[in-house]
Amino acid sequence: MSADALLLDVRGASKAFGSTTVLAGVDLGVHRGEFVSLLGPSGCGKTTLLRIVAGLLGADGGTVRLDGADITGVPTHKRGVGVVFQSYALFPHLSVADNVAFGLRAQRRPADGIKATVARFLDLVHLGALADRPVRGLSGGQQQRVAVARALAVAPKLLLLDEPFSALDRKLRETMQIDLRHILREVGITTVLVTHDQEEALVMSDRIAVMSKGAIEQLDTPEGIYTRPRTPFALGFVGHSIRIAGKAGQTTDGVLTVDTALGPLRAKGSYLPGSPVLLAVRPERVVVGAPPPDVPSNAVTAALTDIVFQGSKVHLHFAAADVTLLVETNRIPPGLSPGATASLSWGLADTMLFPGETA
Amino acid sequence: MTLTERLGAFFVWIVAIAAAVFLLTPLVVTVLVSFGSSAVFTLPPPSLSMRWYQRLMTLRGLAPALVTSVQIAAFATLVSLVLGALAAIALARTRFPGRDGVVAFLTSPLMLPGLVLGIALLQGFRFIGLIDVWTSLLIAHVVITIPYAVRTLYSALGLFDFTLLDAARTLGCSPAEAIVKVLLPNLAPAFITSAIFAFLASMDNYAVSIFFTNAWTKTLPIQMLTFAEEQPDPTIAAVSSLLIALVLVLLIVLERAIGLRRITEV
Amino acid sequence: MKAGRPAFDPVLLLAAPALAYMAVVFALPVLVLILRSFGTPTGPSITAYVSFLSDGFNWRVIGNTLRIAALTSLLCLALGYPTAVALARSKGAVQALLLVAIILPLSVGVIVKAFAWQIVLRRDGVVAAFMVMTGIWDQPQLLLFTESGLVIGAANVFLPFMILPIYSVLKLVDPNLQDAAATLGAPPLYRFFKLALPMAMPGIISGTAIVFSLAASMYVIPTLLIGDRFQTLATLTARAFLLMRNEQLGSTTATVLLVLAVSIVMLSSWAVKAKGDSR
Repeated sequence: MSADALLLDVRGASKAFGSTTVLAGVDLGVHRGEFVSLLGPSGCGKTTLLRIVAGLLGADGGTVRLDGADITGVPTHKRGVGVVFQSYALFPHLSVADNVAFGLRAQRRPADGIKATVARFLDLVHLGALADRPVRGLSGGQQQRVAVARALAVAPKLLLLDEPFSALDRKLRETMQIDLRHILREVGITTVLVTHDQEEALVMSDRIAVMSKGAIEQLDTPEGIYTRPRTPFALGFVGHSIRIAGKAGQTTDGVLTVDTALGPLRAKGSYLPGSPVLLAVRPERVVVGAPPPDVPSNAVTAALTDIVFQGSKVHLHFAAADVTLLVETNRIPPGLSPGATASLSWGLADTMLFPGETA
Repeated sequence: MTLTERLGAFFVWIVAIAAAVFLLTPLVVTVLVSFGSSAVFTLPPPSLSMRWYQRLMTLRGLAPALVTSVQIAAFATLVSLVLGALAAIALARTRFPGRDGVVAFLTSPLMLPGLVLGIALLQGFRFIGLIDVWTSLLIAHVVITIPYAVRTLYSALGLFDFTLLDAARTLGCSPAEAIVKVLLPNLAPAFITSAIFAFLASMDNYAVSIFFTNAWTKTLPIQMLTFAEEQPDPTIAAVSSLLIALVLVLLIVLERAIGLRRITEV
Repeated sequence: MKAGRPAFDPVLLLAAPALAYMAVVFALPVLVLILRSFGTPTGPSITAYVSFLSDGFNWRVIGNTLRIAALTSLLCLALGYPTAVALARSKGAVQALLLVAIILPLSVGVIVKAFAWQIVLRRDGVVAAFMVMTGIWDQPQLLLFTESGLVIGAANVFLPFMILPIYSVLKLVDPNLQDAAATLGAPPLYRFFKLALPMAMPGIISGTAIVFSLAASMYVIPTLLIGDRFQTLATLTARAFLLMRNEQLGSTTATVLLVLAVSIVMLSSWAVKAKGDSR
């Protein structure tokens, strides 16, 4: 059984608040030492799932297994699941060191052991010098590191991170993400991160679970989710994309012809003729100009509306028949300026096909 | 939740309900007694009657005492709101060492025994030869009400974003207009809250008032104390029940208007 | 503006009317009262205090005052802390109802409440009936005119002043702190003693200080619930001025009362500050 290799195994977790279903029977398996992100917009149920795993919230149904043992009914303080809260939830009446020692003291560990452990984890997060400071005056980044050290000090089997970077400014966030990844890898702890920030999930995770409306839409590696999104939601939530709605036509040799506002386009797959479908392509897969003759491709004609220079890359905004087409290139194509018309093409292999929304 | 947590939560709610019942007991008893027919207070009342309410009309001294109390409370509230608002603005807008001390001084009558204040003022008024009851009461009651105005308005101003005033001025308001159109509406809940607390503190005061009233001019609490000593019958309960009803209506209006939770925030 | 010596801000003048009023009508008379208690026809002396403190009766009065204030504070704390916790945990209609139960009695006069308690505490009153019903008492007893009755009545009047300060502190505590402690392996009782209680302490201290000084200086409640036999500093002060016309004695007891109340308040704010600094 593959379940034996799972450190965290959630089966059929469901939760409703009143008549609102927040989690609709979610399964989640996390391997030992793995870093998994729960990624989704607010209200998708990711925080509810985290609180159920931590035992801070009782599920309506389903089981939670940790390291082989069923912990569904076990109270939080006996679970061995550490949490870094969004607000960090540092104890304001205690010093940095006392915050880190809190869990060890609560579990009645021997005093000299506590001292050594606290020192070790404060060094790990580079806060050894601030041990005796009150937590009140600390910066956001320092507070986060205290919260991490505090959660790790009790040696939990699993660490949960609830939007731990949302209180930090953008620049600090990026360095903290890499720092934290480093620290967690050093400790070798299995981690589940809850976030609504796709970049954060891409930077930190081994695997990402994209959540929407109380369900996991796709659980895959960051690359897998980016290149092979399974649903339009996963496509839209991670990375940019060009999306063109249309109606399925004939399928020949496994290639479907789709009628769109931009003319007939092709994609691998098969749908009942007449059913609504959605075509999509990543902006960096599109080239400005005619397609190479030997590769099966799609091509459309569109007008350039905007050029956005972004340093290492350039975003070209095109429009055709009410569809916005975003193209990502390395440099501004010579001789192209807003208002001009150009031909855009991309390979058949890069064309993604999803069921469309019935009007 | 573990068993300990459940027991804890259960205990908390049991005590909270007991405390609520305990707090409301005198109010309920007062209302029950006021509708009883017996002249000696008994619980439960033998039969219901409105006679004590009818007697209210004939009770001498009640109406003048009520008028005096309302007048004093209204004027004292008004004066202390004006003085308190000015002081609160000055203190919230400036920073200087000892600012906390000034705030503590302006709110300190809250923490002093009313009796001591009454005696101090009695001696002071006697020294300057002030013998008019109404004036003495008003001057004393402003001291009682100012702390409520300063405390509430000062903490509300601490939360007020003064750049809003600058924003209003860039949009074409004069400084005075900015204050009237932006500052005052934002502070309205604080004004209402402090006005209510100040008014009730004045209406309910006896510890200070008792030194300034005489046989002819009395405030409501002093008059009721007199009734209670002279002719203890449920008429006092009837007066109190009417006051309770009035305050209850006031609280409901307040809950609708700004929410009771905000009152406790100051 | 130069560092070290900030220029005078004209906005400060707005505080002048209130400050002037409080200086003349509040601070000055209180100061004069204190000075008077030291004044004799022949000059300043502490004779009044020496004779006051050499009388055993007065020591009993001070003892009565402190004991009643302490018992009242204790009863208020026992009822008030759990109620404040319930208030902080509840929301919506339940919270509004609890708030009404706390605020409505605040707005009802002390005299009215004292009268209601006179009825409730009688031998045929509700409390006696309850105690007999639950089997704690064999037969109905009179609670009125006893110290227990006085403490019950006083706690009833002052309970809101215990609940509201504690509630206002609890409201500001991040609810995640309890969760965080649980995820660190702290059992419920440990969380209560090491987290919930320390976090509530500033509210508990200021609530206790307020109730203590209110109870130490109450005058009408003892008059109506226990009567003349039982004297406290406040009732003695009032008697000295209103009945005995002994202003020397009144000024002395008033000053003792004042010193008592002020030191309680200063002690408590020092304690709250000390706690705040250690954070």
